[in-house]
Amino acid sequence: MAATKDSKEQKYDRQLRLWGDHGQEALENAHVCLINATATGTEILKNLVLPGIGAFTIVDGHIVSGEDAGNNFFLSSDSIGKNRAQAATELLQELNSDVSGNFVEESPDKLLDNDPEFFHRFTIVIGVQLPESTCLRLGMVLWSASVPFLICKAYGLIGYMRLMVQEHTVIESHPDNALEDLRLDRPFDEFKSHIKSYNLSIMDKKDHSHTPWVIIVAKYLERWLSEHDGQPPKNYKEKEAFRQIIREGILKNENGGLEDEENFEEAIKNVNTALNPTKVPTSVEDLFNSEQCNNITAQSSSFWVMLRAVKEFVYNEGSGSLPVRGSIPDMIADSQKFINLQNVYREKAMQDAAAVSKHVESLLQSVGKPPESISEKDIKLFCKNSSFLRVVRCRSLAEEYSVDSINKDEITSRMDSPDSEMVFYLMLRAVDRFYQLHSRYPGFRKSLRISGAF
Amino acid sequence: MVQLVGSLRKELADSLSTCKVLVVGAGGIGCELLKNLVLTGFKNIEVIDLDTIDVSNLNRQFLFQKKHVGKSKAQVAKESALQFCPSASITAYHDSITNPDYNVEFFRKFMLVMNALDNRAARNHVNRMCLAADIPLIESGSAGYLGQVTVIKKGLTECYECQPKPAQKTFPGCTIRNTPSEPIHCIVWAKYLFNQLFGEEDADQEVSPDTADPEAAWNPEDTAARAAVSEKDGDIKRVSTKVWARSTGYDPIKLFNKLFKDDIMYLLTMDKLWKKRKAPTPLDWQQLEVLVNSEAPASGLKDQKVLDVWGYCQMFQDSVETLSSQLQEKGDDAELVWDKDDPPAMDFVTAAANLRMHVFSMNMKSRFDVKSMAGNIIPAIATTNAVIAGLIVLEGLKILSGEMETCRTVFLNKCPNLRKKLLVPCVLDPPSANCYVCVSKPEVTVKLNVQKTTVLSLQDRILKERFGMVAPDVQIEDGKGTILISSEEGETEANNNKFLSDFGIRNGSRLQSDDFLQDYTLLVNVLHTEELERDVEFEVIGEAPDKAPPPQSNQEEVNSITNGNKDSAQPSTSSKAEDDDLMIVDSDEEEVAASNSAAVATGTKRKYSETGESSAKRPRTDQSDAADDEDDIVALD
Repeated sequence: MAATKDSKEQKYDRQLRLWGDHGQEALENAHVCLINATATGTEILKNLVLPGIGAFTIVDGHIVSGEDAGNNFFLSSDSIGKNRAQAATELLQELNSDVSGNFVEESPDKLLDNDPEFFHRFTIVIGVQLPESTCLRLGMVLWSASVPFLICKAYGLIGYMRLMVQEHTVIESHPDNALEDLRLDRPFDEFKSHIKSYNLSIMDKKDHSHTPWVIIVAKYLERWLSEHDGQPPKNYKEKEAFRQIIREGILKNENGGLEDEENFEEAIKNVNTALNPTKVPTSVEDLFNSEQCNNITAQSSSFWVMLRAVKEFVYNEGSGSLPVRGSIPDMIADSQKFINLQNVYREKAMQDAAAVSKHVESLLQSVGKPPESISEKDIKLFCKNSSFLRVVRCRSLAEEYSVDSINKDEITSRMDSPDSEMVFYLMLRAVDRFYQLHSRYPGFRKSLRISGAF
Repeated sequence: MVQLVGSLRKELADSLSTCKVLVVGAGGIGCELLKNLVLTGFKNIEVIDLDTIDVSNLNRQFLFQKKHVGKSKAQVAKESALQFCPSASITAYHDSITNPDYNVEFFRKFMLVMNALDNRAARNHVNRMCLAADIPLIESGSAGYLGQVTVIKKGLTECYECQPKPAQKTFPGCTIRNTPSEPIHCIVWAKYLFNQLFGEEDADQEVSPDTADPEAAWNPEDTAARAAVSEKDGDIKRVSTKVWARSTGYDPIKLFNKLFKDDIMYLLTMDKLWKKRKAPTPLDWQQLEVLVNSEAPASGLKDQKVLDVWGYCQMFQDSVETLSSQLQEKGDDAELVWDKDDPPAMDFVTAAANLRMHVFSMNMKSRFDVKSMAGNIIPAIATTNAVIAGLIVLEGLKILSGEMETCRTVFLNKCPNLRKKLLVPCVLDPPSANCYVCVSKPEVTVKLNVQKTTVLSLQDRILKERFGMVAPDVQIEDGKGTILISSEEGETEANNNKFLSDFGIRNGSRLQSDDFLQDYTLLVNVLHTEELERDVEFEVIGEAPDKAPPPQSNQEEVNSITNGNKDSAQPSTSSKAEDDDLMIVDSDEEEVAASNSAAVATGTKRKYSETGESSAKRPRTDQSDAADDEDDIVALD
């Protein structure tokens, strides 16, 4: 086991640096269904098999044609006449031995007729080049089973894709440029007493220049607040004045010049973001107010149970703030001072997570579920990411295709502009409709083929 | 009616099947590109790559499998592609594109050259070859979810070198040797140490305490005197690290005690250094051994755990033993080459760097993090490379249709931007009038000290490293045509260690530097100065100063396309991805920096240079749709 873990780490090194081991775990637990192993379909699956999804199943009732062998890298001329699902599975499987490849030699419509629940088992279903009727039928099945459905089409140099999922919740959204959660504006008790344990004015040079910048900002902020009726520096001018105060705190050498104290430089540099008020992001606030959060039932997913627990925390123990994240950025400091500071945040984060955990427990109890149905580990991860939670919701295909589509007027207004991408959308819809009526694509007459020219 | 072959006009389809194209690089983008080219109908393809296949390539370079590890990328890529598409004719070269065999004549064979490279030096070189041969070049790069494709055509567009690229970050020698303050300093030191012990010894990669550190001396005269002594005989008389290590039989414990005890105790005697800094704490193997606590190793990904000191001691011991026996197997005078994907080499650097971090009271780093800094690792996935390779073919089709004016530089973003575009096309800029490569008479001014700069460092550091020449010939414009450097082996070697002033070069001298292979002549104006910062050998005048790193230092994503991970003469300074190692194929660095998804996501304004027809004229679709997240069209212009 250890050996396989090591070799996986090596093989997947370059992507682990992008989505981390939780991302990889999610990938490895995924079972992806591809309907129709067209060139587009196999290209999509290639990009999922290489990074190591757990399994894939290709559903395809077609036989490999000469055209397939010509435009599909994963079908060769030897496979002409074979079932397309089988032929593509064989070659795609070669890309990664950690992935389990399966195929079903059946059209999706047959499966929908005989066993619609077949599709419930997948993490996601990707349908390529499906006729409108199949999209709508399958869309309905997957929508009610909460399985994400991705529709793809490609004609010449034009492509289209559409994701359908009732709700997709994201705990680790890997935000870019996330602000640190340092609570300088509302220090918790343990942090306050940690700040008190420092006295910059009696320190020797070495300690002074190895005090973490967070402590420096906190110290000077205390002074500022006492001199400004408890109001922190808000605008540029005040922040500049605050920076100047910190600058004056840098030790002087024998000749009266400034010592080189990088930690102070760091403090000055960080003033701007460090003084951002701690608050619940509006995106999370919106989730707090959503129906799924306020109405926890036995059917609620663990995401919503934990979200509700965090909400309870914010309105109670948290006094308006989310649980402390518990991580701090790297900073100039000696190891001991850094570790001490880190521990202050880490311990507070654990306390907060424990409080959230209590709420989770009573929520689960209230809907008759055992408290261990959500693990401590998951609650900790949820708390750590509570500022970045995301929920993606889509409209169903049925709704989009119904005549009273909410943006009907907008679509019509765009039709006048030949540059509008809406034209592509409408043309693709029209092509689908044409196929539905005539069982052939426009421009195809017998075997003669005319489509969009490059 | 237009006659079509597949999705292409017949004339275009015909020209694809007859034209010859060159793919430089058979890695992440190269594999995808070869697939796309054969599927599009290209029949005559040549591919060159000097690399061999590594396990870490397999997550995306789909033409390779486990059984191919260690084989030539170009060769295996060719064989795999032919298996899928036997009708194509592919020629593979397992070689460096800078090899003189690939001269201007070679490049002229092609209708189109496509770069799928991972380093700046090779990109510079192919840029010059394509300018010299006047062949259109498609340049590309990817980093994580981000990517970029652009087109370079002599006289019409900017060349790859029209915009100055930020230099690699280097660190002063005394920071590395005496006073590291950040983990990266320890990692650089550990990589130097690897070369000193097992690899090619380089005088610029000393690892022992630097007695000439100006900060350690009591007065400037003293520094100068000590520096002079160490330059004159110190370095010559001193036994090299490698010779000493060999004399101990690469005994890991002796090495450990020298590096982390004796050398550190020596540093402590330079007490001036530690007046304001926290002094380092020497480590002693025997003492650590006594304190071992045998905790069970934690679960989870091993690479991402930070071990305790003894853990790194053991990693040090194990890796030294493995590496020294590898060295022994190779025989006398053998040298190992450091490679981040070679486990013992990576273990050695992880262990040595962490032990040094510990000595200097820094927080230790996991092997995973050390690897990313030491190896300048850029995250990479198949999806991004597939998109980029697709865009390369689309630009190629425009070029072959004679529609050069419709070519664009295209950025791939992580998330759709404010206009809901994942792919953002921008107009190509015309050549820069100040480019030192593609103007008709390239000229630069270099500030240096003629009394301290040797001919060798003019050749290696300035002409090769900085100005991308492969084999320069240099003539002094002194009326006599003195040859300073000849690319013919042995002709001017005697000049190497002489100073420029020995040849009468002074302020205002002009040096004509030629690279025959690149068909490139650069006139270098010398500006003599005695006021260069320590550890700075020269400065190029008139170029934009290196831009400061992006304001958010902890971004997870690289800001723009990188050169790739093979650029790392110096490791990156960033602990995440390599935001210092940016390569910008585009016009304006700030524009590119702002185009990253982060900036877009937070609503930062972005300057567009898009053309009317590609998108500026299009009505913005995002305002009215804002409430409506299920808008599903992603336009691929």
